Amino acid sequence: MNVRSQVSMVFHLDKCIGCHTCSVACKNIWTDRKGAEYMWFNNVETKPGTGYPTKWEDQEKYKGGWESNGNGKLDIKSTSRTKIIPNIFHNPHMPSMDDYYEPWTYDYQNLFNAPEGSDQPTAEPISMIDGEKIDVQSGPNWDDDLGGSPIYAENDPNLEGLTEEQKLQLSSVERLVFFYLPRICNHCLNPCCVASCPSGALYKRGEDGIVLIDQKKCRAWRSCVAACPYKKTYFNWFTGKSEKCLLCFPRLETGQAPACFHSCVGRIRYLGVLLYDADRIEEIAKLPDDELVEGHRSMILDPFDPEVIANAKKSGISDGVIESAQRSPVYQFVVKWKIALPPHIEYRTLPMLFYVPPMSPVQASKPEDTIHHISEDLFHDIDASRVPMKFLANLFGAGHEGVVRYALRKQKAVRWHRRAETVGDVDRATADRMLHEANCTREEAEEIYKLTSLCTFEDRFVIPPMHREQAIEMMKEPHEHRTDAGFGFVGGPQRGL
Amino acid sequence: MQKVHDPVVLSTSRSSATCYLVTSDRLHTVRLVAVAVVVFWCLAAATTLLAQDTPDYFRQNCMNCHTIGGGRLTGPDLKDVTQRKDREWLANFMANPKAVIDSGDPYAQKIFEESRNVPMPTLPGLTKERLENLLDLIEAESKLEESQFKGLQISNKPFTDADRALGRAIFLGHAKLEAGGTSCISCHSMYDTPALGGGRLGPDLTGIYERLKGRKALSAWLMAPGTETMLPIFKNHPMTADEINALAAYFEASAGEKPAEPAASRVALLLMGLAGAAGLVFGFDAIWKRRFHSVRRTLVDATPVRGH
Repeated sequence: MNVRSQVSMVFHLDKCIGCHTCSVACKNIWTDRKGAEYMWFNNVETKPGTGYPTKWEDQEKYKGGWESNGNGKLDIKSTSRTKIIPNIFHNPHMPSMDDYYEPWTYDYQNLFNAPEGSDQPTAEPISMIDGEKIDVQSGPNWDDDLGGSPIYAENDPNLEGLTEEQKLQLSSVERLVFFYLPRICNHCLNPCCVASCPSGALYKRGEDGIVLIDQKKCRAWRSCVAACPYKKTYFNWFTGKSEKCLLCFPRLETGQAPACFHSCVGRIRYLGVLLYDADRIEEIAKLPDDELVEGHRSMILDPFDPEVIANAKKSGISDGVIESAQRSPVYQFVVKWKIALPPHIEYRTLPMLFYVPPMSPVQASKPEDTIHHISEDLFHDIDASRVPMKFLANLFGAGHEGVVRYALRKQKAVRWHRRAETVGDVDRATADRMLHEANCTREEAEEIYKLTSLCTFEDRFVIPPMHREQAIEMMKEPHEHRTDAGFGFVGGPQRGL
Repeated sequence: MQKVHDPVVLSTSRSSATCYLVTSDRLHTVRLVAVAVVVFWCLAAATTLLAQDTPDYFRQNCMNCHTIGGGRLTGPDLKDVTQRKDREWLANFMANPKAVIDSGDPYAQKIFEESRNVPMPTLPGLTKERLENLLDLIEAESKLEESQFKGLQISNKPFTDADRALGRAIFLGHAKLEAGGTSCISCHSMYDTPALGGGRLGPDLTGIYERLKGRKALSAWLMAPGTETMLPIFKNHPMTADEINALAAYFEASAGEKPAEPAASRVALLLMGLAGAAGLVFGFDAIWKRRFHSVRRTLVDATPVRGH
């Protein structure tokens, strides 16, 4: 057993209101720079929708992630030692500027400087790339709230395997539905971006598992851009280096939650340490699709198990981190309650960001100007939900509905339990039966309810002590490090070697 | 100087001091003698080196155009040249032949014309000392009955078909040069060079036999090629007498032939290149028809607009 610690995340989609505050907070801190205008380390997508960059989930096109090559080995889809030779000048299968979007601002000066005329001056959109006027055709969330749905929503790759009727429902009145999917880098356990880099510029930080790009080593191959199936590494056209979400490690090191977590209005985000067995990464990443979610969960170790604690100490994990893992809200959601699921685990990168799948209203029909809901309980019949189970299964279960149904059923049972407790329109016996069916006890339901609805800052973000001084000692004399860290200009990323 | 000779002086003075009492005067004399010995030895060594060096230098740099008592090649026979012109003029000319020719010196003009307007190249690594040594050498060799620099003794036996065939094989690189020199075709072509032609760095050699005025000069040239491009190659990989004979035979046979026309004119070549490039572009487009294209644009274009 090779115990490692990983700062992991849960996004509770049932709480996300799609306000994009997280994206704005991140943008302001990290990517409001020349060359990074188009990057959104954090973005929020409307589902069904094609997301950002367009259809990033379509790996037939983008060739992201890993694939099993048949003889028991995993290969990167986008590149290999042989593929890199013919593609040495150009990395195919990369999103173009149009697939992200051409960033723009507005010509505000025109409002002040326009010559006097018979009409009001306007601020026309101008490209942030070349400064020319542009006709804006797409944006990082163009399909937000049904904008352009006939094009974007209907081409969501997750609609695969749905019946024609289900697909039609998604855009018909009283049946239509959407939910939000906030996305950051998953800081995977088997990161494809790291494996693909010919320069060895990407690495997974030993102490907390954050995946980073060394700006001094990056040689603009852009292999990571092609390899990451979530398209969460971006190429900065100005510095000639790739960049990605860094989980706000400077904030984490000072005990603060990452900016997107901190600013989240719906309080959907949870952060905490998970201990996992690094020896099993390869074995788990090779599992067949229907065993991936369970396998991934089985790698995560019980932080109270004395054997795990002993092994963790042997690996140099400090007591503070182990203690932090024991209080981790992520462990509760992912392992204990099993209601948080990894996104698209079939890409086999073993993401460490988990989503609690969203509940949705039941479908309705409108035969004679009166709306009839198919189920009597508007919100609670999960198999009649407007978001088809198959759609959520494609997103969070590698196409298999079992794990998604389990998570939704448990959430539903918790609601019934709370209604029996506080509203009283559900009788206790029914609620208990629901809990039993959902493999949940009253105590567990209370815990889920508390961590979902009544959670404080400290409940949501259990940030481990980072012990950077110890991590630095491994590579450098701390006194020497002291002189080239801190405020000021230590040398930004620059083009070239 | 002082530093170099210190050990010698010290050892001498120590031995003197230990053997018998010496006055400062005597010590001084001993020192002087020691220094003189060492300096003399150094000079002698240097002179010997230079003296050995000079015939080699002459062989490598002069013999492709000159002989001493062997008749003129491209340049005049140097036998008794020091009697024809004074040393000062000769030294001046050797140091920078082109400048002297250009200055309009009548004698320089005359030998320039005699050499079919081939100017004498500026010699590499020619120091004042070496220059004097060369003149000494020429003077000494001129007095001999038969100089070692009389030049290659070209046989007069007529060329055979076998010679010509071997010469052609050497030219085309089918037969390797014994000392490992580069084949002629790398830089030259001939009237009968096949399909792709020879190299373009050097001139077409059809008719070179007449241009160099016969077997002797041609053979001398091949013995020690003197141009900037050929010199460094053949300096360390000289051709043998048999090879030179064969090549001369081949060149002689080319007399009266027309130089090879390039397979295609420059315009045709350019047009062929453009057509080839266009073919490649369309070819690649066909081969990689299913390559990655814009995702969003394709999606938007493929979706019919409805609801209006």
